[in-house]
Amino acid sequence: MIAIIDYGLGNLASVQKALNFLKLENKITSDHDEIKSSDFILLPGVGSFAHGMQNLREKRLDHLLSDEVLGKKKRFLGICLGMQLIAETGTEPYENPGLGWIKGKIIKIESSNLRIPHMGWNSIEVRQEDYLADLNHKDFYFIHSYHFVPEDEKVVAAYVDYGTKLVAAIQHENIFAAQFHPEKSQGAGLTLLKNYFEKC
Amino acid sequence: MLKARIIPILTFNGFGLVKTKQFANPRMVGNPVQAARVYNQRGVDELVFLDIFASDQKRKINLKLVADVIKECYMPVAIGGGITCIDDITNLLKIGADKVVIKTKALTDIDFIKQAVHVFGSQCITIAIDAYKTEAGYKIHNKSGLDISLDDFLRSMTECEVGEFVVTSVDNDGMMNGFDCDLINHVLSKTNIPVIAVGGGGEMEHYSELFTKTKTEAVGSASIFHFTQYTPLDIKNEIKKINIPVRI
Repeated sequence: MIAIIDYGLGNLASVQKALNFLKLENKITSDHDEIKSSDFILLPGVGSFAHGMQNLREKRLDHLLSDEVLGKKKRFLGICLGMQLIAETGTEPYENPGLGWIKGKIIKIESSNLRIPHMGWNSIEVRQEDYLADLNHKDFYFIHSYHFVPEDEKVVAAYVDYGTKLVAAIQHENIFAAQFHPEKSQGAGLTLLKNYFEKC
Repeated sequence: MLKARIIPILTFNGFGLVKTKQFANPRMVGNPVQAARVYNQRGVDELVFLDIFASDQKRKINLKLVADVIKECYMPVAIGGGITCIDDITNLLKIGADKVVIKTKALTDIDFIKQAVHVFGSQCITIAIDAYKTEAGYKIHNKSGLDISLDDFLRSMTECEVGEFVVTSVDNDGMMNGFDCDLINHVLSKTNIPVIAVGGGGEMEHYSELFTKTKTEAVGSASIFHFTQYTPLDIKNEIKKINIPVRI
């Protein structure tokens, strides 16, 4: 069972719709026991970094998720804000600590000639093929103003070119996280979800 | 590379889909759920659904119907109509909207827009701008008799760090005789927030003209899909010829 973490932020309905379409057993939950007994943890989310961390803390999910993912090595998928929150530090709207699973920082996309947010369909350049083998150069839906700058480039699973190279996906041990929205990326997105949850 | 987005816009009157001309004479054009299903099958980049009479009629958008529309969509959906409070946004996000489109409330309540951006993040908040040409420059169309210049409104919304603008030319709406490229260029020069250009598409050449004369990265259309045989894919093939990147 995939536990879709409900922390009062994010587009849970569309994530669930995509998983249901793929006939992947899932549950939207913030219940600690349910999360502990799940096979996978999926952290979706839209909104600001600070707000996201605050909500996780209020539901006492920050420590629980860290125990499950770092301690028990449960497979984890983060989407959009759910990817950013696993960084050590966020800066939206002010500097504050994240879950800290991946060393790095979330910073604003700075550019004088690009439109912010980075919004729309953009193709990815795959660096780690485990779940993205058939998806190199495919288009995914992005919508974000902040981006993940990891300390170690080895954790990058894919890049995206938006005037400058931004991290599109991160992979490290049992953690996979995407800046784009697979649940909103039609065929390519569904393929990634299928790859991730069916590959054990 | 970021692809140009071709976005069908569904305008709803509370009962069915309608299409206006210059914001008047709404004509019935079909069932929203059916339309969403067709657009999903066609793999469109994104969908915008607007209840264009909700604010005027002081009613809320029909969440049950919107949920049925969203159920058909595996692509991003923006929903608008009658949004006046944070709960309205929460309710739309809960049923699967990716963005909300705010118009009327934004004209009079900047603090609300700031709050919405703070709570939900920039990427979630789209502002609809309906502009018309006057001798004193572009103004914002509204039914409250407010005199708001496009530039002032753009500046205040850009300061709020909203996520996107849907810019419709009132003069060209539903006329199918080409886009107001001056308007779009004007808006693009005043803000660095993404813009969806709307109003006037009727022929393939209108789209190549829009993407040649402006640097817009997205276009929204309704009439051409309701009243001609053209599909979003036809538009993509058309602008691909002039080397605009598209997702096919």
